[in-house]
Amino acid sequence: MALFAVFQTTFLLALLPLRTYESEVLSEPLLLTPESLKVSVNSTRQRLHLQWTVHSLAYHQELKMVFQIQISRFKTSNVIWVENYRTTVKRNRVLHWSWESKLPLECAAHFIRMRSMVDDARIPKPGFWSNWSSWEEADAQNSLGHDPLLVFPKDKLVEEGSNVTICYVSRIHRDNISCYLEGVQIYGEQLDRSVSAFELKNVSFIRKRGTNVFCKVDQGGALGGIVLFVSKVLEEPKDFSCETQDLKTLTCTWDPGSDTGLSKQPSQSYTLFESFSGKKTLCKHRNWCNWQVAQDSQETYNFTLVAENYLRKRSVSILFNLTQRVHPMTPYNLFPKNVGATNATMTWKVHSIGNNSTLLCQLELLAEGKVIQQHNVSIKVNGEYLLSELEPDTEYVARVRCAYTNHFWKWSELISQKFNTAEAAPSEAPDVWRNMKMVSGHPTVSLFWKPLSKVHANGKILFYNVIVENLDKPSRLEVLSIPAPTRSTELTLDQCSYQIHVTAHNSVGPSPASVIVISGDPGNEEVESGRVNGTEDGFSVSWKPQSGDATGYVVEWCDGPQDLPCALQWKNLGPNTTSTVISSGAFRPGVRYNFRIYEISAKRMAHLLEKKAGYLEELAPSDNPQVVMSNLTSHSFTLSWKDYSTESQPGFIQGYHVYLKPKAGEQCPPAFEKTVLPEDSLCCKHTIDNPEQKTFVVENLQPESVYEFFVTAYTSVGEGPLDAFTKITTLDEYSHILIRIILPMIFCVLIVMIICYLKHQWLKEKCYPDIPDPYKSSVLSLIKSKENPHLTIMNINDCVPDAIEVINKPEGSKIQFLGTRKSLTETEFTKPAYIYLLPTEKNYSGPGPCICFENFTYNQAASDFASCGHFPVTPQAPPHQLGPLTSPENLLKALEQNYMNSLGEIPAGEANLNYVSQLASSTSGDKDSLPTNPPEPALCSEYKMQMVIPLGLASAPPSENSSLSSTTLLGQGEHYR
Amino acid sequence: MKVLAAGVVPLLLVLHWKHGAGSPLPITPVNATCATRHPCHSNLMNQIKNQLTQLNSSAKALFILYYTAQGEPFPNNLDKLCSPNVTDFPPFHANGTERARLVELYRIIAYLGASLGNITRDQKVLNPSAHSLHSKLNATADVMRGLLSNVLCRLCSKYHVAHVDVAYGPDTSGKDVFQKKKLGCQLLGKYKQVIAVVAQAF
Repeated sequence: MALFAVFQTTFLLALLPLRTYESEVLSEPLLLTPESLKVSVNSTRQRLHLQWTVHSLAYHQELKMVFQIQISRFKTSNVIWVENYRTTVKRNRVLHWSWESKLPLECAAHFIRMRSMVDDARIPKPGFWSNWSSWEEADAQNSLGHDPLLVFPKDKLVEEGSNVTICYVSRIHRDNISCYLEGVQIYGEQLDRSVSAFELKNVSFIRKRGTNVFCKVDQGGALGGIVLFVSKVLEEPKDFSCETQDLKTLTCTWDPGSDTGLSKQPSQSYTLFESFSGKKTLCKHRNWCNWQVAQDSQETYNFTLVAENYLRKRSVSILFNLTQRVHPMTPYNLFPKNVGATNATMTWKVHSIGNNSTLLCQLELLAEGKVIQQHNVSIKVNGEYLLSELEPDTEYVARVRCAYTNHFWKWSELISQKFNTAEAAPSEAPDVWRNMKMVSGHPTVSLFWKPLSKVHANGKILFYNVIVENLDKPSRLEVLSIPAPTRSTELTLDQCSYQIHVTAHNSVGPSPASVIVISGDPGNEEVESGRVNGTEDGFSVSWKPQSGDATGYVVEWCDGPQDLPCALQWKNLGPNTTSTVISSGAFRPGVRYNFRIYEISAKRMAHLLEKKAGYLEELAPSDNPQVVMSNLTSHSFTLSWKDYSTESQPGFIQGYHVYLKPKAGEQCPPAFEKTVLPEDSLCCKHTIDNPEQKTFVVENLQPESVYEFFVTAYTSVGEGPLDAFTKITTLDEYSHILIRIILPMIFCVLIVMIICYLKHQWLKEKCYPDIPDPYKSSVLSLIKSKENPHLTIMNINDCVPDAIEVINKPEGSKIQFLGTRKSLTETEFTKPAYIYLLPTEKNYSGPGPCICFENFTYNQAASDFASCGHFPVTPQAPPHQLGPLTSPENLLKALEQNYMNSLGEIPAGEANLNYVSQLASSTSGDKDSLPTNPPEPALCSEYKMQMVIPLGLASAPPSENSSLSSTTLLGQGEHYR
Repeated sequence: MKVLAAGVVPLLLVLHWKHGAGSPLPITPVNATCATRHPCHSNLMNQIKNQLTQLNSSAKALFILYYTAQGEPFPNNLDKLCSPNVTDFPPFHANGTERARLVELYRIIAYLGASLGNITRDQKVLNPSAHSLHSKLNATADVMRGLLSNVLCRLCSKYHVAHVDVAYGPDTSGKDVFQKKKLGCQLLGKYKQVIAVVAQAF
């Protein structure tokens, strides 16, 4: 019974809690309050960590609950976050929840509380929130230190493009705090009296070493700062792939993208994970990683590459079969073998892959960078292939790459090898042309040939052989060997016909011969010249075939201007061709090119068919004709420019323009038309449309007028440059008549002057003899007619000049040439002494009467030196007439006056002689010898020597001490004569 | 074990001193006899003077190079960020005896050497591309190491000083980057100021 009672009691006791639970769960709201709430702060991550438990739960009981969490900032009433956190709760299980704050936790105190509610489907009644837990404070400011101004978050690491909130805590409570990022002030929001926050949105990467953000109190206060690290966003690895070269090692590669390394954060790391084997490896390199292939014949691999930095993790995966990722190693030992002129054998080796694996190799042959042959060869280790159809003496590049035959994945890297094929004999005859000219009467042939192209030369051309064969008479062949690269030679031939063979030789042999026949009789190859138009493509030359048996045509031209040495060019054309386009890079605008078209006969002789001349592009003349003016008259003049060459101009000369500038207001002459020059001046222009007309007569001009002319040539493009005009003045209308008169007169005068000069002695004798002939004197006739008709002339035979009067003047006597009358009269006169010198007559026995002759035509100054002492000087002569005779004018006046005086004062009866001589004025130094008394008849006749003395000398005063005598004067007269 | 860690390890650190040595270290054990491994240079004081002159001549350039490399606001806020108010810097009395001056010099150079080590370490991380700054920091540290050896030799040989207590600046490894920059700048400012006085005193 007791046992039953105990059992019953126990049963009841067991039921009691069950009932209680049922009553709680099923009938009453279940209230479970969170307990043991603890808050911790992670400043670096700016997170608040919460942990709590729910103790009220029954043992092993699990309930779904929702916890409402409230977070306040600065004060509990300032709720900034409310969140419902749902979780399954067990008894005594510690629950965790964390929250990241945008604002750095150091800048504000945070308060957290929560309440809970059962949110389990097993509880049918609607739940009720439990009571709030008490506020828990999370304050990170306690450990900040004592700095007056603090900026947070310290060393913040964020991704590019994210938002960051920066705050400062000021312990000095001032408003004048400003914050800067990269030197630029940032503006925020004041959260508290001492806290402000700045939200930086979409921050960008600046530099790896971070960016200083600082706040400072204006005007010398505190300064606090942080360094903000902005990382680039970690990119997903691109182009991730794995391959093997030997089926032993897998190499995985990828493109890592940007490096996210900073001072605060190392570069992103890469980890390779293989899911089938569960192995992973940390890659040592940014963009590749090796993976050792397992020995357990794993064929399929699933790799995941994980890139990771402090902020983010990125991954990429690939799944592949190992044998499908074989990338063979580069082949090696690629060499040419047995290289001939047209073939070569290439050999190479490959690295083996596994056992008995086969590789497919691709052999490519390149010439001048282009693939010309491609061959596929399957090999195991050694490869070999014969390349054929090669060109002689050509550089080739052979290259080989291989791929795994079982499953093509990738070609290996290429290996290349250069080689040269051997030489062969030239395959084509050289292109030969000739130029014939006569040198010293012998036909001389200049042979030209073009170098063979590389395709036809088949090697290096060493020399050219020229074989000259006389076709008219049998003779030895003349062989000339001309070393390359000479491309021409000159042959002097005779009048015979010759066949010339030209061959090119390389180290292997000669080329086929090029044959050309030179005729001994060049014939008359003059043909008419035509014109050819130049285009951008060149000159389009066409011709008319002459004979039907032409084997071809040759167009010949010179590449350079005519005045330069000709670089002969030619072009061979087929027999059916009648036109071609000649193009050359050497063609220049404004240069005249002459083309000759030859027909090649069946006998391989060339005959000139046509000549063409043309310009690639015609230009205006660059210079103007040198014009010569002639035949100038009063109404016309002739212009000529015959030296102007129309051939060497930069275009076909079509004619000339003659410009004439008449004097102002004058009309243009006929045949001229008015035109305006570029400098806007009016001008007359005449156009000559014949390029060969190089003279022009400008007519109908005004006499004695100034004209300006200028001649220029013109082409189809335009005329020459406007040069300076040449001035010309037409002649006076009568000037030519005057010239006809004056010129003969001048000529006659010249003749007379020459005659006079040559016959001056004769003229002198006739016109003005030294000793005048009294009979020819007109004076006598004058005297006779006026006064005394009985006067006669003394016969010279009547006077025997047998004595010379010597005037002996004592020394010390003063000669006063220019003295006063008194001085003249006071001068002591010395009587002359007479000396008998030359008795001319046998019957002359003694001194007879003497007659003195004087010639008045002579300069008194000279004659005074030898004046006769018996000179009849009139005392009435005014003294003043004696002085100023030093001047020539005075002297002449004196001469005239004295002459008249003499005529008037000498009475005819007083003289012993009827002859009246020409008397000079007695004003010379001889005056001191003159008698002061009136003249008396002299007893003897005295001849005074006639002297020609310049007037200047005549006026020169004699020296004071000069003694004057006839002999002395005679000597002087001889001296001056 | 603690004794070993506190005595032998620091000793080894000093003997093979590199950047960033730890807490204050005795030069020699207290009871050890003063002995140098190599004979001192005959003209030791001249060597010391020359080294001080060398340090003094390069201190300003090092300072400028440092604060320039830190970027704004350092170059324009030297008074706030680089003022030489290093509180625990060893004192120096220029009018003391040569022995006293040498002892103080020893303490200063030991302090500076350790601080320069910290700065060099930090700058290699914070300014990895500032090679000229790194080079100048290393060169200065090299001269200081030689100067420390010479001063020790002088103290030992002439004054038989076998033990000098030294102190080091705060370890900056736990500081934030801005604070590291600031502390380095302050230290170099102080160094520039002190080395001028010390060089003048010798």
